[in-house]
Amino acid sequence: MDAGETGAVPLTLYVPAASRLHRLHPVTKVAGLAAFIVAAFVVDRPLALAPLAAAIAALLVPAGGFPNVRRLRVMFVLVFVSSLVVWTLFYGGRFGATRAGFLYGLSTAIRLDTFLAAGILFLTTTRVEEVAYALGRLGLPYIVGFTLTLAFRLVPVFFDAALAVVQAQRCRGLELGRGGIVARLRRFVPILVPVLIGALRRADRMAMALELRGFNSGRPRTTYLRARAGPADALAGAVLAVTTVAYVALWTSGVGLLAR
Amino acid sequence: MGASGAGKSTLARCLTRLVPCFVPAEVTGDVRLLGEPIHGRRVGELAGTIGMVFQDFEAQLFSTDVTQEVVFGLEHTAVPPAEMPERVARALATVGLAGFEGRDPTTLSGGEKQRLAIAGLLALRPPVMVLDEPTTDLDPVGRAEVLRTLAGLRGDGLTLVVIEHDTAAAAGADLLLVLSEGRVVGRGAPRELLADVEACAAAGIRAPDTCCVLAALGLPAPPLDVETAAERLRAAGATPKPPRFLPPPRPLRPPLIDVCGLGHRYPGGHAALAEVSLAIRPGEFLALVGRNGSGKTTLAKHLNGLLVPSEGAVRLEGHDVRGLALEELAQRVGYVFQDPDHQLFAATVEEEVAFGPRNLGLDPAEVEVRVAEALAAVGLDERDADPFLLDKGVRQRLAVAAVLALRPDVLVLDEPTTGLDFVEQQKMMALLRARHAAGQTIVIITHTPWVIAEYAERVVLLAGGRLRYDGPPRQFFADDELLAAAAFRAPDVTRLGRLLGCTPLSVAELVSWMPGRQAPCP
Repeated sequence: MDAGETGAVPLTLYVPAASRLHRLHPVTKVAGLAAFIVAAFVVDRPLALAPLAAAIAALLVPAGGFPNVRRLRVMFVLVFVSSLVVWTLFYGGRFGATRAGFLYGLSTAIRLDTFLAAGILFLTTTRVEEVAYALGRLGLPYIVGFTLTLAFRLVPVFFDAALAVVQAQRCRGLELGRGGIVARLRRFVPILVPVLIGALRRADRMAMALELRGFNSGRPRTTYLRARAGPADALAGAVLAVTTVAYVALWTSGVGLLAR
Repeated sequence: MGASGAGKSTLARCLTRLVPCFVPAEVTGDVRLLGEPIHGRRVGELAGTIGMVFQDFEAQLFSTDVTQEVVFGLEHTAVPPAEMPERVARALATVGLAGFEGRDPTTLSGGEKQRLAIAGLLALRPPVMVLDEPTTDLDPVGRAEVLRTLAGLRGDGLTLVVIEHDTAAAAGADLLLVLSEGRVVGRGAPRELLADVEACAAAGIRAPDTCCVLAALGLPAPPLDVETAAERLRAAGATPKPPRFLPPPRPLRPPLIDVCGLGHRYPGGHAALAEVSLAIRPGEFLALVGRNGSGKTTLAKHLNGLLVPSEGAVRLEGHDVRGLALEELAQRVGYVFQDPDHQLFAATVEEEVAFGPRNLGLDPAEVEVRVAEALAAVGLDERDADPFLLDKGVRQRLAVAAVLALRPDVLVLDEPTTGLDFVEQQKMMALLRARHAAGQTIVIITHTPWVIAEYAERVVLLAGGRLRYDGPPRQFFADDELLAAAAFRAPDVTRLGRLLGCTPLSVAELVSWMPGRQAPCP
């Protein structure tokens, strides 16, 4: 396969860099992502969300994550604009622009973009294999982390194959967007069959290759990644704990919530 | 070595216990590995004792990071973590991937991926490694990289068992096994087995050009290398007398496809093509060559509107391809993808070929005419066979039939002979030659020098997205600079001829230039 000419794009956002964030323990990074998601989830006042968004943006700079943000900028804009417009116009179940709707839309827009940015920050600083390692340390079975890694590795390969199939069938006069629903669905058969059969054939070879590399060797597993929690992790953990407690307080006290 | 279905892969898989652990089979007899019988062992248990590499490099990589990929096997075979960094560094250095740590395998070239797969096994330090067509899916550059790596491993004392279609690569082996229909039919030194041109043909192996030439001239014990062969010919007084080649006649007919100042930029800014102009005339047989990433597939996909030009235009009989409907294009420019499995989906051969004509909305009688015609053209008659159960070579010809049924004016084929054995390669090329003789315009993308030398009338070489050469194959194969740009080596017979002062494109041609070998007078 002429990989250079079909243009598979890696799914990973990892940026190899020696930043402090990169060096944090994977479990700390998973906890950080979780803390940001919880904090952004429990409040809905734009003013309460703004510090979270600012914090993530400030962390993305030393982590080298801005090229990734630029890569996904369309998503940021799309999420922001659609949340704002939809909530402004349809808040409360009626059509018509309202101030409450605008505020809620703004907070939802900031919140979703914060989720997105937090996810990018996480994947910029954490290898997929580290995520798998952290999940293992948190007590999940090995297969969960392994499946995650394999998914990140295989999705681009799969898309590449699917693109080739679509092009090959187009060359035989297959036009996908024509006719009624049934006719349209039927036209997907010539796409789905080669894609699925190809994936199955490859899965078969992959199972062999896995065992040839000692998967299922009957010997105990060792791990190369050896993360040790240091003072930076203690500091990060403390900041995360304080942030989470503060946001839960904003929620329970109602200060962080919009008036209803 | 051996033809498809000779049992090469099955034998290789028996050595690693993939047969019968993954492929259920009844196995009789015994395999001993380092003196130990492997009967009853699991595949995973043998990791570190024997490794195996497949043709499909994508299926052998499981990580999103080069270091993690190499470490994978170590983690699963209880290697202490303290040993790992040194083993990883060694394995990557051996395959020439030092400095690639931290890269995502998705961003590597085919040759790099295959070498990474080898490194993943190498880190386990197996004394024996089995490789099943490790270079088949690679371009000449990737192929050379992998072969160089294998030579290095052999130098380090590893035992290598390699399944290989290429005679030149097999010539350096210590021992050659030839299989045919599940049996070993030849065992010995490569130079002795390969010198027997008839035995090679019987086993479906392409005999070395040097051996074919010397055998045709009745000279005994032919050598495998061209230098020695040239000396032998000189000593025997065989001096080729090539005819005078006239420049090709000026084309009279207007171009069928006119590519004007074509540029293509992929999203992300990577320029794949720049300022490419060429005219393809009716009835031409054109080979599009270049290294991976040179833009040849991109150019080919512009010929039938699969891609939209960033600059310039492609015109089909004067009409811009962009303005033509899909149906119209499908009937004018047929495109056969490299992997037949990217398009075969139907339950029977007949249905598969009928798919295209039906998409054009033809009536059943016409569809039947097209199916019969296309199947006859590729020499297939099992209409009810299940395409997925056919051999690779037959599937490849079926894919060609499926496109021929649209009766395109131009047939574009991306690497039509890749992954096929010699017999199927010859069938494919014979089929294309027959279509060409019937007036079909043919464009092939290929990495196989002898295919170009023997079949193409015109070579178009791309380098770095630009047109580097456009002319007859004879000049192409006589120019070392052009060959280097394509990462090609001329066929052995051409190299042999050049040592003797001429540029033949096939064994038959060189032999016919030898004095006393001209057609006998009546």
